[in-house]
Amino acid sequence: MMIDKYIIYFFSAAMIISALGVVTARNMFHSGLLLGVSLLSVAGIYLLMGAEFLAAVQVLVYIGGILILILFAVMLTHKICDKSIAQTNKQKFWSLAASLAVFAILTASIIKTQFASNTITPRVVSAAEAGLEIFSGNILPFEAVSVLLLAALVGAIMMAGRENEK
Amino acid sequence: MKYIYDIRLIFDFVFSLGARLWELTGLPLWLYSQIKIVVIGSILLGVISLAVMFLIWLERRLSAHFQSRIGPNRVGWQGSLQAVADIVKLLAKENITPANADVVVYLLAPMVVFAAAFMAYIALPVAPRLVVNNFSLGILYILSISSLGVIGILMAGWSSNNKYSLIGGMRSAAQMISYEIPLVLAVLSVIMMAGSLNLSEIVASQKNFFDWHIFRQPLAFLIYFVAATAEINRLPFDIPEAESELTAGFHTEYSGIRFGIFFLAEFANMMIVASIVTSLFLGGWHGFGFLPPIAWFLIKDAFTIFTLIWFRWTFPRFRMDQLMNLGWKILTPLALLNIFVTGIRMFIK
Repeated sequence: MMIDKYIIYFFSAAMIISALGVVTARNMFHSGLLLGVSLLSVAGIYLLMGAEFLAAVQVLVYIGGILILILFAVMLTHKICDKSIAQTNKQKFWSLAASLAVFAILTASIIKTQFASNTITPRVVSAAEAGLEIFSGNILPFEAVSVLLLAALVGAIMMAGRENEK
Repeated sequence: MKYIYDIRLIFDFVFSLGARLWELTGLPLWLYSQIKIVVIGSILLGVISLAVMFLIWLERRLSAHFQSRIGPNRVGWQGSLQAVADIVKLLAKENITPANADVVVYLLAPMVVFAAAFMAYIALPVAPRLVVNNFSLGILYILSISSLGVIGILMAGWSSNNKYSLIGGMRSAAQMISYEIPLVLAVLSVIMMAGSLNLSEIVASQKNFFDWHIFRQPLAFLIYFVAATAEINRLPFDIPEAESELTAGFHTEYSGIRFGIFFLAEFANMMIVASIVTSLFLGGWHGFGFLPPIAWFLIKDAFTIFTLIWFRWTFPRFRMDQLMNLGWKILTPLALLNIFVTGIRMFIK
């Protein structure tokens, strides 16, 4: 549909503007909220591309879980909460150079790539298909990620437990 | 089974008539579909607001009876117009913004909370085919959209620049993150039994009385009900707004209609929880004949809401550590065990 194209432009613009806000806002809580807008825009683009499952998981995990934890951490930390602080330090020129290099590489590869030029409407992938794909062909990387998460979890508990003993 | 009062037929008729008339004007068709979205959204908003007004009256009357009082009975028949009078009062009140508040976040917070509650209704089927958008991922969509409400509560708590609001907001976030896990796990075991994420299909799988998931998944039902009561911050889990210690929690500084929007969102969330309980566990619109499906749905919904109100005026409030213990040490392991047993049972079959 015609209007879908403009909605995608709208979401892309919202995503980029709020992402810029995340790195420039002087208030950490505002940065967190803008990150939420950015993640929500990504979910909107997923939805328009037919990746319904991915969009729902994006909202549930990234916004409903991780973003809330980030906001929670900002509110708990009095050094960064409620103050306007600069988001740059001595290393800003190096980080600028690094991010410009990444931008250049990505732009070059996007320009080089031949994208399919047909205009077939994207197929909606069901949750069942996504599940079969993960648990048949990609079971090994999936399990590896699970072990990684488990290790992080155990590590977090160890660190929290050590602090309690003192 | 066809009823003369199938509401969906009325909607279909009106919208196809509208499309015909629209074609006569020669305006582009995509504009019509956008107008249709706005009209459906307004109808939904109206229905929710009316239902919330009824619920406010019901809760006040019921709580009064639980405590051997009479409750509001002056405005209208048996006080039924009390909620209307309250809303007029809230609209007429001054909207105060605290001097040191973060104004933009402060003003956006109630909207975020309400939008999250309101958007969940889009995927909710109340009768066969009577749903705004029959998402194939219905229940997953509702769970993910309603998890956005916490952000609004955090925004309200932080931007008010008030210690009670801040503590209320943080408690609320901690509670919602903790209880979201057993809640989703309890829903998962029902999804395993039904073999679908679509709410219409989950309801369709409970056609016979003994196929209702409350009989096939009693533990999941209990876990869901407890976790959902905590998710919507109602007693015995209303620690985020515990009056005796936090005045009013995250919405302490809000007044006038902004407070009203928080209130509206709270009741809208309560109806969503009751509707999910009805759809997942109580067989949705399936009944015993003689009444249209939507009536059965509303009867079960009303009964669930009555139970939630009953909880509120019966149980004393939990302490914060008790709440966390219940969520992490009892409900989450039980929900995981339930999934495990369900999986084995399905594997053997």
